[in-house]
Amino acid sequence: MSGFKFIQKIKELFGIVAPSVDTTKKQIIKELLKKLKLRRILLKQELKNETDLIKREAIHDSIKIIKKQIKKGKEIVDV
Amino acid sequence: MKRLLLLVVILALSYAFIQSKNILHIAAGVSIFLLGMQSLEEGFRFFVGGFLDKFLKKITNNLYKSILFGAITTTLMQSSGLVAVIAISFISAGLISIAQGIGIILGGNIGTTTGAWLIAGLGLKINIATYALPMLVFGTLFMFQESKRLKGIGYALAGLGFSFLGIAYMKEGFDAFKETIDLTQYSADGFMGLILFTLIGAGMTIIMQSSHASLVLILTALSASQITYENAIALTIGANIGTTVTAIIGALGAGYEGKKLAGAHFLINTLTGFLLIWFVPQFIHFIDLTAPFLGIPKNDYPLKLALYHTYFNLICVLLFAPVVHGLVALLNHLFKPEVTSENEIDDVLFINDVALDFPDTAQATLLKETKHLYNNVFDIIAKGLSVTKEDITSGMEIDDILKLRTKAMIVNMDDYYERRIKEIYGKIINFAILAQGKFADESNQQLIPIKNATLGIVEAFKASKHMQKNMLRYLESDNEYIKSEYNHIRKNLIKHLRTMQMIFNTSEEDVAVLLLSKLQLDAQKYDIAANKSLDTLIRTNKITYTMATSLMNDTTYAYTIASELTKVAHTLFIHSNAESKEGREALILNESEVTDLTHSTEPRSHT
Repeated sequence: MSGFKFIQKIKELFGIVAPSVDTTKKQIIKELLKKLKLRRILLKQELKNETDLIKREAIHDSIKIIKKQIKKGKEIVDV
Repeated sequence: MKRLLLLVVILALSYAFIQSKNILHIAAGVSIFLLGMQSLEEGFRFFVGGFLDKFLKKITNNLYKSILFGAITTTLMQSSGLVAVIAISFISAGLISIAQGIGIILGGNIGTTTGAWLIAGLGLKINIATYALPMLVFGTLFMFQESKRLKGIGYALAGLGFSFLGIAYMKEGFDAFKETIDLTQYSADGFMGLILFTLIGAGMTIIMQSSHASLVLILTALSASQITYENAIALTIGANIGTTVTAIIGALGAGYEGKKLAGAHFLINTLTGFLLIWFVPQFIHFIDLTAPFLGIPKNDYPLKLALYHTYFNLICVLLFAPVVHGLVALLNHLFKPEVTSENEIDDVLFINDVALDFPDTAQATLLKETKHLYNNVFDIIAKGLSVTKEDITSGMEIDDILKLRTKAMIVNMDDYYERRIKEIYGKIINFAILAQGKFADESNQQLIPIKNATLGIVEAFKASKHMQKNMLRYLESDNEYIKSEYNHIRKNLIKHLRTMQMIFNTSEEDVAVLLLSKLQLDAQKYDIAANKSLDTLIRTNKITYTMATSLMNDTTYAYTIASELTKVAHTLFIHSNAESKEGREALILNESEVTDLTHSTEPRSHT
């Protein structure tokens, strides 16, 4: 085992391996996308049951925002 | 008084140096050793900014890992002082808990014992001065390099070199002393002797601010037979107590959490010292029994003292590790944060000198203090809208809050600024500037947005102050139209402030990411709707032109408050987690993306 590999192994053991910034960013976005998709489903259900017009509009806005965020996130992850 | 004391010390030392060259040798040895310790600490500080603080955050998530961390870092750096400073700084910034900090201190106590073994086993047996000189040369060579890492290695090498040279000088001084004077004639026997030498040990460690320097002095004097073994043990107990003063001095500039840790260090070492001082004869017997198993010769008293030092610190850990949580409860009882009443001048809660030691602690402290400032501004903005902070944080419907708070709430905004904003704001900016000057560019980039968030908070306050004058006038106006418009401003800002609280309080990051984009969308939609409404009111002569001008200005102020606070929430949320910062930021919609959404939706009905 070379010196570099040995140091990497030690870092892994202690959990201090720093993955590249890009990989970390994509990983975090992927996790956030999962949560946002779930949130969108919940909001859609909430919208079905809501009768108040102003609250419906607010939920509708949230769904639109999430849609745009999911689209934006996918573009970053796919690059 | 301090200057007078310094003068007395200088005169006394000068007299002693004239009288004896050996005293000069010993004092020079101590000075060179202390210089070496400082240089060693400086060297390790170059690494602390990056590697060590990341390591610390990962490894100190439980007590036993904290003890291990304290023991390993003190062994590597040979400075319990630096480890204590790191622990105090991280506790003050809220990055580790007080229990974990105590773990680090306990581990640090074990780590110091390795120094005693090295000095007793190697330092006094070989001529270490021969290693000191090349270390000093290479250390100095590295110190002048551009690379931070090489600089750090340079300072550490020079530090070791100076420490070795210091030990050699002390040894030489005591050896020469042996030929002219026998210091053992001043030794004191019995329990009173133990007490006396414990106090001397504590005193010399307080003066030198280094238990390592004291230990070296004790070991070299013992190796030259200038003190008795029993007195050396008492001096070591004293050194362990005296070293806590270093942490106490370090904690003077820290917050109350840092003070707790210094208090814990003092309690742990002092209680163990006063407990073990009663059993010194039994301990000497126990060491005599166990030393042969470690291959320590019968007459090697320096090594026996190193063994005693190890036992002492192991007992410290065994006594206190199981009761750390009880100790934390006691410290929580003894040290409490100062609570300022509404009428007193509010001061910073987290900013202190030790927070400036490392980039991570500086950033965490800046974030916390900015939130503190935000809380105060949130309070006054709420009052400016003639509602209370509690109204906003309650689950009450906004329309119900407005029905409840129909009367204008008179608050002196300038007075509030003087009492609860100015001091904190000034200190945050000062702290941020100091931190920017101290750390590398990479760390600075994290600090600048937080500093700007502080400016944004104050901008929001100023806008609120300007808006308050008309709010007071029109909230109780006979003209229902203008009253309704001001209530609409109130409603939207209350909603905005409520959403901000949700962002700060939620643990679900997808909710925060969504709400941050929603804050922007709502602010833009409100601005469009308010302008349309204003046009209609003017065209239909429902309000006078002075009312119209006021409303126009205040709509702009309301927009300023909303947009500035949105930026603040954005920054504080993004920077609250360094690891997921970039991922979070990427998903929050920017201004133009929000504008696209605003124009693709119908403006909200004006209620």
